[in-house]
Amino acid sequence: MISARDIKAKICSSEIRSAGTVKECFERIKKVDPKVKAFLRLSRENALNQAERVDNNKDRKNAKYGLLEGVPIAIKDNIMVKGEGMTSASKYLEHYVSTYDATVIEKLKEAGAIFIGRTNMDEFAMGGSTESSAYQKTTNPWNVEYIPGGSSGGSAAAVSAGMVPFALGSDTGGSIRQPAGFCGIVGYKPSYGLISRYGVCALASSFDQVGTFSKTVADSALLTSVIAGKDYRDPVCEPKESMDYVHELDNPDILKTLRVGIPKQLLDYKTDAEITKYFNDAGNKLKLEGVEIIEIDIPAYKYVPALYKVIMCAEVSANIATFDGIRYGYRSPNGRSLNDEYAKSRAESLGYEVKKRILFGTYVLGAKNYHRCYHQAQKVRTLLINQITAVYKKCDFIFTPATLQMPVKFGDVLPEECDLFLIAANLAGLPGITVPCSFTSSGMPMGVHFMGSRFSDAKLFQVANAFEKISGFDIDKYPTNL
Amino acid sequence: MTNYETVVGLEVHMQINTKSKVFCECSTQFGAEPNANTCVICTSQPGAIPILNKKAVEAIVKTGIALDFNINKQCTFARKQYFYPDIPKNYQITQSEPPLCSDGKLTISVGGKEKVVNITRIHLEEDAGKLVHEIGSRKLDYSLLDLNRASVGLMELVTEPELSSPEEVLGFLTELKDIVEYLDTSKCSMEEGKMRCDVNVSIRPVGQKELGARVEIKNMNSISSIRDAITYEVERQKEVLESNGKLVQETRLWEAEEGVTKSMRSKEEALDYRYFPEPDLVPFDLPDSFIEELRKQIPELPKARKARFIKDYGLSEYDADYLTSTRLVADYYEGALNYSKDKDKKVLAKPLSNWISTELSAKLNAAKVCISESPVSSQNLTKLISLVLNGTISGKIAKTVFEEMYVKSSDPETIVKEKGLSQISDESAITKMCEESIAESPKAVAEFRSGKERAVAAIIGLIMKKSKGQANPQIVNRILLEKLKSIKKSCQR
Repeated sequence: MISARDIKAKICSSEIRSAGTVKECFERIKKVDPKVKAFLRLSRENALNQAERVDNNKDRKNAKYGLLEGVPIAIKDNIMVKGEGMTSASKYLEHYVSTYDATVIEKLKEAGAIFIGRTNMDEFAMGGSTESSAYQKTTNPWNVEYIPGGSSGGSAAAVSAGMVPFALGSDTGGSIRQPAGFCGIVGYKPSYGLISRYGVCALASSFDQVGTFSKTVADSALLTSVIAGKDYRDPVCEPKESMDYVHELDNPDILKTLRVGIPKQLLDYKTDAEITKYFNDAGNKLKLEGVEIIEIDIPAYKYVPALYKVIMCAEVSANIATFDGIRYGYRSPNGRSLNDEYAKSRAESLGYEVKKRILFGTYVLGAKNYHRCYHQAQKVRTLLINQITAVYKKCDFIFTPATLQMPVKFGDVLPEECDLFLIAANLAGLPGITVPCSFTSSGMPMGVHFMGSRFSDAKLFQVANAFEKISGFDIDKYPTNL
Repeated sequence: MTNYETVVGLEVHMQINTKSKVFCECSTQFGAEPNANTCVICTSQPGAIPILNKKAVEAIVKTGIALDFNINKQCTFARKQYFYPDIPKNYQITQSEPPLCSDGKLTISVGGKEKVVNITRIHLEEDAGKLVHEIGSRKLDYSLLDLNRASVGLMELVTEPELSSPEEVLGFLTELKDIVEYLDTSKCSMEEGKMRCDVNVSIRPVGQKELGARVEIKNMNSISSIRDAITYEVERQKEVLESNGKLVQETRLWEAEEGVTKSMRSKEEALDYRYFPEPDLVPFDLPDSFIEELRKQIPELPKARKARFIKDYGLSEYDADYLTSTRLVADYYEGALNYSKDKDKKVLAKPLSNWISTELSAKLNAAKVCISESPVSSQNLTKLISLVLNGTISGKIAKTVFEEMYVKSSDPETIVKEKGLSQISDESAITKMCEESIAESPKAVAEFRSGKERAVAAIIGLIMKKSKGQANPQIVNRILLEKLKSIKKSCQR
């Protein structure tokens, strides 16, 4: 599959037609998705009609092209598209129909993008393997016995297996960058407040951001240019920079003066030997281009898993409370009183992981635990932010492996600290991007992660783009066993 | 028998008078079709995010300034969590720590005595929707949910436990309502549920310092039910203590039909609301300039205005009280006065007050029209009264003209001119009418001559009939008596 950027260019120059590209997507899906199971629902008819409209419109004189005119895209199933279902991979929302468009969807429609279908995810984005979906298990396209990562596993697998050029995901604690790493593609989470959260089913409101999956950094930059921007409907969405990430993406000199920091805390955790090896290789390639690599010290990294869990679960317990069986969603036929109705509707429709997090969040917010749990976690979060901020005086980006372990088989559990260095970006509101760097001896890909200071997203794209060119990773390679 | 004293503190909720809700753009209009004023935010659809209506913050700060509060410049929000169908998110967003306003006071006067009541705080929160329980003949059948009210802005005001009788509570609420209505920050109507009040009641032996067990009473929907609930609860608590029982901290519900309070939950059963900072709303600071701008917008409050009406216009306490009871009436009154020259204001003040409190208010009340929408403008009312004062029309004609003005919203001078209602003050014309009438009333004249002075009324009636009511009564009186007396004298001679 060619890149989104090329698809758009070729549609505009009439080299290809949108309908043809969309058909190719559905053909590829038909061929590989029975094994990958990335999509929960497809909108074949709508997508083809839309593509025909683009093609017909294009033949007219003075036709105006959106930034993504006629380009197919997949959408994670926790984003609202008016008139479409939105399950968040939960049984609770099985029959829910969105009554409005999320801001990112509005922007994609304006840009002329074509929605192919909705991708699988962990239920309400809670998980890192996409196994907690109430509907199906998505596989890793490089080896279908392995997890694709999560929570946006469906979007990651769809792009990785060449079913769509790019996709939207959401990232609360690594949910884009971890599966991107596992599936060998680019995964980007913006600075908190760069992209509107309006219309995205909330997990933990102070960490949630919509982000992108693509084969190339350029496609993520293009997609971000379309969906980023101030939105009065999301009070935290107040980007402070211009949102054009495309025109200055190619900065040939960027690596010459760059300084990146590698946290010495990496050594505190058990890391897959091949990941260590290829991460060091990547570092050496950067050095050869003139990048200065320094060691940095962020002692508060060790608190990341615990404080993420406390704050995320606290916000989950409140956000998921609205799914009560009263106004929409699943309602148990067995309720005998109001409280019984609440209890049964939730017990019968929410999954294990969701219940666990609600219970934990409820616990840490209880009057007796608030100060020693939730409040304490917020204090440690401030400590972490201060330490990271101090480090950015010494270096431009923090450089780590995307994950410390390779993907596991279904049913096996990843260690808690596996994506600790990704979660730090959510806790501190920072932008992060995973770029694939190598295949390991297992035949599965791995990636590296760059994390920038808040609202340094434009420069982050430039660095990732430059790294992509020197990484030696073959982006044209697709899984062949499907 | 021990003497007890009553200690009451209040939690008053007032709907903030803004066009749209506090966290979405839906209308706050009362009485709309169920769920007509709802959107994805106030029904809590997935992905919805609250947006703060800053007008609601303004309203609270204004109220705080008027009640001598310290205004806290930080504005932060928290989620207060509990499950109930009338709050769709199953948490309520509240602006509680710190509250926008802390440490205010209100002076009330009860039984001629003034008392300063300290008010702990005012903070912003969102209202809940309404559940309508449809009850069939034997059991609860179903409940209907109306979310029109959900997420309408509320200001919650909490007093110190410093009120000591139902009368003081009523005095406080009335005074508060007057001020808030003046500020126009809430409509305060209890019937429409725009003002609601929970009371905390305890009793203690006179002289004891520690407070007794606090009982919170909810579910009162009128001023009189608040009074009845406190009166009942104080008696109940006395009875418990007199019979050596123990009072416990609890929440009780007022059952209006039975006239009793019933236990709802004890302190042990109190809910853990699991407050935490609202991540969807960014905390912000109120700039000093914002607060100062609002300070400038505070109008003269009812007490000050009443004192000024008495001093400047020479009104009685009673009249001034009536005129300043609502800001709109007072504005109408002063608006009317301002159409006259300064030297005439004192002359106009009293009759204008009378016209507003009698003729105008009777008409407006009957038609359920607000004085600000009165068909008789304040300027036209002033003109009408001036016509009476300068003798152009009589008081009686003025009432006829007023009727016309109310129906047609027209100018009194035009009506008087068009209908030829000007008073006849021409003495020769009146003399002629008097002479004719005397000639036509031999019987009355005879009675008058025999000493029955009352007989003159019949002749005046005849003159008024001839003049269609337009003859100046004072002049008629004078000339008629002169004529009659001269007849009497000539007969005696």
